[in-house]
Amino acid sequence: MIDIFIKLLKREIKLAIVNISIIISYSSFFLMSLLIFTFGIGPDIGKLNELYSPIVWLIMLFSIILISENFLMNDYRDGSLRELQYLGYSEELIIFSKTVVMFLILIIPHFFLIPICSILLNLNSIELIRLSINVILGSPSLILISIISNLLTIQVRQSKVLQFVIIMPFYIPLIIFTTASNSNDSSDLIDLNKFLILIGFFLITLPIALFSGKMILKEVNK
Amino acid sequence: MIFKLANPNRFIRFSDRISPYLFYLFILLISYGLFLCFFKSPPDYLQGETVRIMYIHVPCAWFSLMFYSSIAICSFFSLIFKHTLADIISRALAPLGASLTLATLITGSIWGKPTWGTWWVWDARLTSELVLLFLYLGIIILSNSFENKTKGDKYAAILSLVGIINLPIIKWSVDWWNTLHQPASISKFSSPSIDPSMLTPLIVMTFALLFFSIQVTLIRIKSEILQRKIDIIRSTELS
Repeated sequence: MIDIFIKLLKREIKLAIVNISIIISYSSFFLMSLLIFTFGIGPDIGKLNELYSPIVWLIMLFSIILISENFLMNDYRDGSLRELQYLGYSEELIIFSKTVVMFLILIIPHFFLIPICSILLNLNSIELIRLSINVILGSPSLILISIISNLLTIQVRQSKVLQFVIIMPFYIPLIIFTTASNSNDSSDLIDLNKFLILIGFFLITLPIALFSGKMILKEVNK
Repeated sequence: MIFKLANPNRFIRFSDRISPYLFYLFILLISYGLFLCFFKSPPDYLQGETVRIMYIHVPCAWFSLMFYSSIAICSFFSLIFKHTLADIISRALAPLGASLTLATLITGSIWGKPTWGTWWVWDARLTSELVLLFLYLGIIILSNSFENKTKGDKYAAILSLVGIINLPIIKWSVDWWNTLHQPASISKFSSPSIDPSMLTPLIVMTFALLFFSIQVTLIRIKSEILQRKIDIIRSTELS
């Protein structure tokens, strides 16, 4: 099973490297949205500093939904999703490999983007580290949920709006916990409990997403 | 009994037979309930006359949760046993549940203005009820966005099963978090912390709403079954 998973992972990585422009468009989307938020809120650095983490999470949420299309829609359109299933690859592994590669692809720009933006918004280093850990722990769940929403709407023509509507309720708990773990003023560098909640959230999301993803994939290729 | 009714034709016959009785029961209960609400039940010592909103608000809230769980159960049956009637029932229940959730939110905010002094607070129970409304909307939109109805039903079933995570959060949000919304007054495990003069109209109104909802659901199920029959006839004629 590990061999199959590595095979799938290699395939996804190759595809991601071919579509490397995703990272560039993601980064520019991130920066532009931050700029828009700054214009909307005003140049008050105190307010911006306070709102930094929710803004980052909102931008991530929207961009992940938009980007997940590249990982699934293309495979669906050229028929390779169906082919992979017929070749006997298990649906769970297909979804999990996509999640892993999407996480790897999206975490790279964050290493540059979040520190740069925190200089712009005057964030101190403790908060920066906390936010980065939050992003690393919280984004896998975001990615899993976005993949499910993408799978659900893969056969609908006008799927973008629908995708946002059906998936927003599931993002709410995650957004609550990720932004809450940043808003406390305790000087502890790592507030373990709040990070554990995020890990727990991922562990709940993972089996549900894999199981429902499997059911949807079977339905898609009927 | 249940397996017998799983046949759509038999179900239509059954629903035709019980519909009038349900309607009469509903009329009887709603008139008695409204009479109790407005004339018999006393005003609250703290909230005054506004407490009467409870007789609409609480049954709507109960049923908004109950219908979501019914949809989830139907989705489970539809996915496991692949039965069309389960799909039809969840399709029929979703708009009803959504409107009850909306009614809960609207009556709640009308009640909130005189008692809390605000139309809306971002409180755990209010927010989770709003999320429930979005879940309902998601299910309705998703099931209607496919040309092939069966496909839409299957996807909506998966979505509603995943969304059931929200139900315990709504139910116990008032116990888990320190909220403005009061905790449940009526519980299965303890005697209700509500006076009988207020409990009776509440129960009567709940049953009135229950019969009304069953009646509406039966009508919706019947029309959905007939619609599908028409679709099948049309498609066979075309081919």
